[in-house]
Amino acid sequence: MTSTDYALLAVTAAVVAYSAFRSGPKTKKALRIALKQFVNVLPFFIAVFAMIGLFEVILTPDQIQSWLGIGQGLLAPIYAAIFGGLATGPPAAVFPLGQYLLSQHASIAAVATLLIAWVAVGTITLPAEIRFFSARFALSRWALALTLSVVLGLVMGWVL
Amino acid sequence: MKKLVKWSKANWLVWAVALAYIVVAVTRPSAAGKGALLGLQTFGELAATLVTVFVIVGLFQVWVSEEFVMKHLGESSGLKGLAIGAGLGTIIHGPLVGVFPLLKALLAKGARTGVVVAIVSTWAIKLPMIPLELRLFGWRFTLLREGLLFLSAFIMAPLMELILGKDWGTRFRDTIEQE
Repeated sequence: MTSTDYALLAVTAAVVAYSAFRSGPKTKKALRIALKQFVNVLPFFIAVFAMIGLFEVILTPDQIQSWLGIGQGLLAPIYAAIFGGLATGPPAAVFPLGQYLLSQHASIAAVATLLIAWVAVGTITLPAEIRFFSARFALSRWALALTLSVVLGLVMGWVL
Repeated sequence: MKKLVKWSKANWLVWAVALAYIVVAVTRPSAAGKGALLGLQTFGELAATLVTVFVIVGLFQVWVSEEFVMKHLGESSGLKGLAIGAGLGTIIHGPLVGVFPLLKALLAKGARTGVVVAIVSTWAIKLPMIPLELRLFGWRFTLLREGLLFLSAFIMAPLMELILGKDWGTRFRDTIEQE
């Protein structure tokens, strides 16, 4: 629990208290909805996080580094998008990797694509997205985000 | 039995992940343990956020009227709706999966598809991470990347609405109501 979490819980508690002050029955109903939905998706959430953990171990920044190499060509941003999109983990983990790749003369476009795909694509959360928003929505967004991360990476390589 | 089949249909991932763990546990036992620990840790970090999200989902459904959502984030909200979405996505943080329930509730109340897409797109902007990015990549790289990420909301939203079709939101609302 970080201080942000405590602040979040405090604000939530205050909002619930205010809601209860305005209308008891409505607040009761709201909390019932909250509990029902929470219990409903809890197993699914646990599975999602178990999968994220597994991917973090199997697809580490080191691993990506050895696959991505120091590519300079046009294909490099596409590889970067695929690996960045597949990988998961905090952005703090990918920034040092990007900087290392740059120092090894990887192209700016490839590194920028990697950094963007890492946060924007979300292959790991695809099952969750499908469950909440339907396969059509999730897969369309996934494909678009993957393409856009390459385009934006190329734009960055071109501008900088 | 019938209940279990229905449950498994919605929660197939539970079985898939269990299977993946068994495979990894046999081939690389240490990786399975480490993965489980990391997953648990991530889940623990998110626990407070999850509680908050579900309480807010509940309060949102009880207190916020459909008229209000439709007026500000609905089909006719135009660029303003997208801008609100992009702004929301920029400030929320933590794993995106955690806010999916809230985004679904927004859709159910009549927010347009693009608004939700805009939120998901700018979620990629991590405000607390900007100092780190500045230090490692310099201000030109950082500003350009964050700027493009913000802009991506306004590219993704119309494209998604185009791909899914105008009435996707309405049809999605109908399926939620049937649940």
